[in-house]
Amino acid sequence: MNPDELKYHKEHIWVKVSGRKATIGITDHAQNALGDIVYIDLPEVDIDVESNSEIGEIESTKTTSSLISPITGRIIEVNEDLSETPEIINEDPYGKGWIAILEIEDKSELEDLMDSSEYEKYAEEESR
Amino acid sequence: MKLTVIGTGPGGYVASIAAAKLGAKVTVIEESEVGGTCLNRGCIPTKALAESSAILSKVRKLEDYGIKINGKITPDIAKIIERKNRIINSQIKGIKTLFESWGIILKEGRGRIRSPVEVEVILKDGSKEVIKTDKIIIATGSRPAELPDAPFDSKRIISSNDALNLRDIPKSLLIIGAGVIGCEFASIYKELGSEVTIVETLQRALATEDIEISGLLEKEFKKKNIRLYTNTKIKKIEIKDNKVHAILHDKKKITTDKALICGGREFNSNDIGIEEVGINKGKSGEIMVNEKMETNVPGVYAIGDVTGRVLLAHVASAQGIIAARNIMGRDECMNYDAIPSAIFTSPEIASVGLREYQAEDRGIKVRTGYFQFRSLGRAHIMGEINGFIKIVSEDSTDRILGMHIIGPHASDLIHEGVLAIKKGLRTKDIAETIHAHPTLSEGLMEAAKDVFHEAIHVPKL
Repeated sequence: MNPDELKYHKEHIWVKVSGRKATIGITDHAQNALGDIVYIDLPEVDIDVESNSEIGEIESTKTTSSLISPITGRIIEVNEDLSETPEIINEDPYGKGWIAILEIEDKSELEDLMDSSEYEKYAEEESR
Repeated sequence: MKLTVIGTGPGGYVASIAAAKLGAKVTVIEESEVGGTCLNRGCIPTKALAESSAILSKVRKLEDYGIKINGKITPDIAKIIERKNRIINSQIKGIKTLFESWGIILKEGRGRIRSPVEVEVILKDGSKEVIKTDKIIIATGSRPAELPDAPFDSKRIISSNDALNLRDIPKSLLIIGAGVIGCEFASIYKELGSEVTIVETLQRALATEDIEISGLLEKEFKKKNIRLYTNTKIKKIEIKDNKVHAILHDKKKITTDKALICGGREFNSNDIGIEEVGINKGKSGEIMVNEKMETNVPGVYAIGDVTGRVLLAHVASAQGIIAARNIMGRDECMNYDAIPSAIFTSPEIASVGLREYQAEDRGIKVRTGYFQFRSLGRAHIMGEINGFIKIVSEDSTDRILGMHIIGPHASDLIHEGVLAIKKGLRTKDIAETIHAHPTLSEGLMEAAKDVFHEAIHVPKL
């Protein structure tokens, strides 16, 4: 279900690492729990963010939820397509529904993240 | 008892009627239009414009409701203003009819106090008339404040008064000041098609509201592409080539068709004889009054904006009633504890009592309850799911200290909170009161339940 090549943060964020860059998005579990997403308040490009801090907000028809940065770094790109069509996150959370790309400041932070099987267990326990 | 009231705004006209009902012989003086700022240049006209813009917003989403429109939807500003003027005129007529029915004499001209028992009226034709009176109520109100280096010219640098009577929708509009008036006009003109930029010197829009209320409004502005620069000062403002050029303190330049100055209000306390009679004024020109609405000069009362207490129409009316009753021999004091305020932005905002930060500043330990409109069926039916209700209560007693609402019909919903605060109710009282389904009011019950983490329509954390 959750792609093996990704890493996962407890706030239901996935991280795809490629060199010093990390693409982030919300997990399938998160989009399911949120329901139909109607708006995303994207972070600004070129700002420095800290791990576990709020960098944006996601609104669904049911609730609003903070978007938490899984790592420390600089936002270098955001998925502008989401401003007009945030529902892509529901449709393709690991693909076209990516949210932002960060430049990683400290790679050792990645060790704190979960792998897919750990995350699966975590998400299952949380929803119980 | 002969009473003379200067000003017919929501303070003056209400005081006149209240006193007449108790048997006073009332003369009321008005220099411009009956109804004052509220009816002619404030509450009523802005809401009329806001209604047109809200309808426009809804019509643009008609397809969501299963209704098809064949043809283009465009706002017609001339017709919008015509409608607004019709509403004003019918309300003016209403007040004049009330005056007549209670035998209140209306003098159209400028009032000036000559002594505590004499008021001079300079009538429209220039002639003067002196009214002998027993008591006086000053209800002269306030007016938009100018920026010292950018005086109003009604064309490029405009006041809220001008913004209610524009002939064309400006392509671009710079609003200086993100207070109540600035934010309301931003919502209105953005919907009508202007590109809107707001500049505010304070940290956030609506800086006196609860922090979360400002946060959500700012987010809604962002969604609508209303640009908001907070914590920003304007260094220079000038008119060149028929445009307004503003330079911000960080050297950023903003060029727009018009600049709307919403930087506070000044008190109408000059040239009405106050100094001559020796009535005390405060630093900003406000007339000093006690809780009975008495000035320092016996027999002379003041109410409404000109007293600088709380610049809200409904407070002026409440003060007017207190003044009228005291003049007629009662002994009543004004109580400012549970005063609702309503802001007609999109989404609407209303609040009463303490903000969470105010409670913290006063060292009161509080609990909060929070509930989002999007969790209510009714909000989905209406297609208005943005916003929330927040309740602030005292931790030790559960007494409700504040209620803050942003979302559909906030200005109507708030009154459950106003009554609760006025009567010292607890959140439990609202939480345990059955609210009809499906309504927006259910959100009040859920927010109250949320104080104890007992709201039903909230997912498990």
